[in-house]
Amino acid sequence: MAASVGMIEVQGVAAAIVGADAACKAADVELAGWSSIGGYTTAFFTGSISDVEAALQSGEEAARQLIEQVVAAPLNQPAACLQFVDFPVRAPSDFPAGALGLVETRGYGTHIHTNDQMVKTAAVEVINVLTVHDRVVCSLLLGDTGAVAEAIAVAQKLLADDEHLLGTALIPQPRPEVLAAYAAPLGDGGV
Amino acid sequence: MSSGAIGALETRGMASLLASTDAMLKTAEVQLCGQHGIGSGWLTAVLAGQVADVEAAMRVGEVEANRTGELIGAHVVSRPDARAMNAMPHATGLGTEQVQPQALGLLETQGLTPLVAGADAMLKAAQVALGGWAFIGGALCHAPVFGDVAAVQTALEAGRQAAERIGPVYATLVLPQPSSGLGPLLPPAPAVAPRSTGALGIIETIGYASVVGSADAMLKAAEVQIECLSIGSGGRIAALATGQLDAVQAAVCAGAAAATELDASAIVSRPDPALVARFAAPAEGLGPGTRQAIGLIETRSTIALVRAVDRMLKAAAVEYEGAYKVGYYLTAAVVRGDVGAVQVAIEAGRQEAVAHGELVAAYAIPQPYGGLEGRLPHISEDANDDSD
Repeated sequence: MAASVGMIEVQGVAAAIVGADAACKAADVELAGWSSIGGYTTAFFTGSISDVEAALQSGEEAARQLIEQVVAAPLNQPAACLQFVDFPVRAPSDFPAGALGLVETRGYGTHIHTNDQMVKTAAVEVINVLTVHDRVVCSLLLGDTGAVAEAIAVAQKLLADDEHLLGTALIPQPRPEVLAAYAAPLGDGGV
Repeated sequence: MSSGAIGALETRGMASLLASTDAMLKTAEVQLCGQHGIGSGWLTAVLAGQVADVEAAMRVGEVEANRTGELIGAHVVSRPDARAMNAMPHATGLGTEQVQPQALGLLETQGLTPLVAGADAMLKAAQVALGGWAFIGGALCHAPVFGDVAAVQTALEAGRQAAERIGPVYATLVLPQPSSGLGPLLPPAPAVAPRSTGALGIIETIGYASVVGSADAMLKAAEVQIECLSIGSGGRIAALATGQLDAVQAAVCAGAAAATELDASAIVSRPDPALVARFAAPAEGLGPGTRQAIGLIETRSTIALVRAVDRMLKAAAVEYEGAYKVGYYLTAAVVRGDVGAVQVAIEAGRQEAVAHGELVAAYAIPQPYGGLEGRLPHISEDANDDSD
């Protein structure tokens, strides 16, 4: 097992994706996967103690851009940890290169409408819709950076009056392992 | 899905979703093409048809949803784009139940205990058949019954009264002539042979740690069998025990006393055999357990749990056995070992979790009763198979 495991836990999943991406870019760490309880999700990554520390710092900072409450903690010389990863990174991502857009709300019906409008307005594709308990639903879209920015603007406009909008994010160059972890269908996500 | 339209109607609670979907299917030429639940009782039904039909259906559905429960939202998308819809999970969530051409009644409760008590009363009050049951988050559980209109009405009235004596009833619904297209929304009803028993006892608690202790106490108090531990959503989980009436009464008393977070309890004497088959069928695919001392720790944070378990494994010679989540932010882990080792480990784990401010429960069962092994859902035989 690696010398250290880094964990970033947030409400919803969008901030965890942003945090995991930033963490993987900041240091030599490997994304192990993620877990969910009751609308909170945790991203796990492994590496040397100093790499995990640096990754956690960047990941926490990036996640805080979306959401106030972020818990980030290392576990050095772990005896147990990775059995708590519900959705491990398995196959490498085969998604085409592109920017990743995230639109997160409470409620599912609104995503049907918003996603349809986004793909009709900009050249983006909805690659996954994650539902992580407690009504949190996050749509992941892929396209070139300009198109994804355009699509997110559409979503922000449509959801401007929606009290359930949790947040949006744009990652211009997502790490492939982040896509592999979060863009694969979960099978059983709801409830 | 390139022409026509789809409509998404989102409600809180299954009674409201069934009533409004039934009204929509009867109003216009639309078909149910998906459903999805996202927790806290929020459910979405997705219907497809021509634009005018979908719009007409949605108008009726909104009114019906508000009349029978809580409408979250209604959305119509004309000419839905495949690039948006292909990745959406609602189309995979459809059940396969058939709706018979007879009346349908639905009892929806908060927690599983009132649902079991209500379902028993329904079966005893009138000639009705019990469907499957399901939980949808937010502590909501539901079960449908089928029969002729008068029987279903009688059953629902009796079911509501019996359930209300135990816990909150969220909604009841009677559809005298349900649309046949409603079938996919109903919970699957696996065929299990009806089974007679003297009594059925239920202890429902908040959190996994609490229910395991209760189930152990029930087994030690009287000659009963724990049939299964069933999640009732909203962090609730129930232990269902069968046996002779006096034994079940003693067991429920002991289980309730042992529960740290008791939500509800009930004793159903002479339960209908169909009720026992539906709610107290032993779960399959559970591992045998080791009969060593059990250490249980439950938190409201994955990080707190991971760190606590790590600390436990380092503090004493215990083995990690499994983890279980009952919803409502709760996550629990179980370790096994000698009594002394488990007690040391639990103390270490408790301190670590408290340091994160997220501890719910931490305690040891020095000598778990044999009947408990094979009934604990955290030990699934495919626990190491991470294909989901």
